Amino acid sequence: MSDFAPLAVMLIAGFGALALACVEQVVAGARPSPVRIARDAVLSLREPIARPQSYDGWLFHLAPALLLLSAIAALAMVPWAPGFRGIEVESGAIVFAAALAYVTPAVFMAGWGSGRPLAVVGAFRFLALMLGYAMPIAMITTAVAAPAGSLAPAAIVEVQHAVPMALVQPYSLALWLPAVMAVALLAPFDVATAPGELGGAGVFSRYTGLEAALVALARRVLLLAVAGMTAALFLGGWHGPLLPDALWMALKTLAVGAGLLWAGRVFPRVENDRLVAFAWTFAVPASIGAIALAGLTTLLFYR
Amino acid sequence: MISLPVVLGFAAVLFAIGAYGVLGQTNAIMVIMGVELMLGATMLNIVGFLRYAHPDATSGAFFVLIVMTLMALEATIGFGLVIATFRTRRTAEIDDLTDLKG
Amino acid sequence: MNDVAVALVFWPVGALMLLTALYVFITSSMARAGLLLLAALALESILFIALASEYLGTLMLLMMSAEMVIMVFFMVMFMPDPGGLMGMDMTHDKRRSIAAAVVLSVALSAVAVATDWPARVLPPDAPDVRALGFEIMGRSMFSFLFAATAILFTMVGGILVAKQGGRYAR
Repeated sequence: MSDFAPLAVMLIAGFGALALACVEQVVAGARPSPVRIARDAVLSLREPIARPQSYDGWLFHLAPALLLLSAIAALAMVPWAPGFRGIEVESGAIVFAAALAYVTPAVFMAGWGSGRPLAVVGAFRFLALMLGYAMPIAMITTAVAAPAGSLAPAAIVEVQHAVPMALVQPYSLALWLPAVMAVALLAPFDVATAPGELGGAGVFSRYTGLEAALVALARRVLLLAVAGMTAALFLGGWHGPLLPDALWMALKTLAVGAGLLWAGRVFPRVENDRLVAFAWTFAVPASIGAIALAGLTTLLFYR
Repeated sequence: MISLPVVLGFAAVLFAIGAYGVLGQTNAIMVIMGVELMLGATMLNIVGFLRYAHPDATSGAFFVLIVMTLMALEATIGFGLVIATFRTRRTAEIDDLTDLKG
Repeated sequence: MNDVAVALVFWPVGALMLLTALYVFITSSMARAGLLLLAALALESILFIALASEYLGTLMLLMMSAEMVIMVFFMVMFMPDPGGLMGMDMTHDKRRSIAAAVVLSVALSAVAVATDWPARVLPPDAPDVRALGFEIMGRSMFSFLFAATAILFTMVGGILVAKQGGRYAR
């Protein structure tokens, strides 16, 4: 790992967030305009930071920082090319899951700290949802790491040089996608930030100025990290016929990100009870089955 | 620099803070939090020994895993009991649970 | 990590860990208490990583996040003053428990400092993930199975204890 890896991760976070914001504009039907995004960011930075009444100051002001920190920590685990594998840690997939796990306290701090009832409702809804979906993330990570024999995301990409994991373990992909959509606050799993239902931006509705910009950046970086890891773990990462490796990885990440955003616009938001029931009655037992099946495929094909 | 007594000292103070919570708090949930701190202190102890005395003792690392599991299990049953107590007595304070007191 | 780096990380993180652990029982807001406990255990997991047990530290980071937010959840449900605005005193036997805590810390620290630990100079190579995996699946398989069974029993038992109407209701 070179000394410039953390700086590179920050740059990828910044430009990737901008790219995904443009993708978001395209999916919404508008023209992609990075200039407009930059102008909105600068304008929002000029607003003063909100200090609402009856709020918990420490929690309110620390939440955007924790959200951004967990998003960048998750992004640092994504391998982009054989020459640049993010921040290489031996158990990188577990660090990714741990970083995503800190989105829950961050959203809770934002909701509780805001001091308004709808934000608290959003925070508790998100907590109930994430209790169900945190386990599939960890278990599908194990299922995908089994053929590779290693938890390092680069090793999992290497083992897909012949066949992407989405074809070997389609059930794992089917369980992984709802879980990461829930953790990345994406529709149709966006119970915490439901616009229209929870008044504005839900849990984050009280933030203005720098903190609102940080929250928006953190959400885009979360989407980038989740899309990048999905491309690395399931779509074969940087493997592809003609183009250079990093370009394949970027294309796959953007495709997954666009797909997730498109799914958010197409599918209606499901009621919270049903989402939580789906998590506990189907997703968790199915993830255990996925680990068993992954073990079977590993023994049959990868050893 | 850091050596084994330093790590054990930090773990000892953490254990004592957890003991203060267990002994001095009236609400059952705060008592559970005190126990979590005490178990965290024991894990720090074992990790210190792994680093400075026996780096090849994988059974020590496994024991840390077991203690982590126990933290979660004890919190689970504790919360279940708090729910059950609250349902009948509307209180989670351990000072009000004196039925078996001589 | 070399010794200077470990020392540079250890002292501030350790001190902050003890401070946040102490504030868990001082603060009157329950959300802050739960999140301060999360901070204390997360800082402890950073200490694990500094002491060359990266996998255990990462695992602890992963587990503590959800666990502590659940704790806040329960506190808001069951405590008389979750917001902490009414300034209730939630302690009993305050002087004796503080005395007991001080005696414990002094006694344990004395044991830690006074004992003659083996003065071996060993390479700072804590078991890595592979070695831990082999240990779990090989020698400690029985303990692992026992822990798994305990988890299963706890899940079922916790639900039964908390069920509305008790264990025998339908």
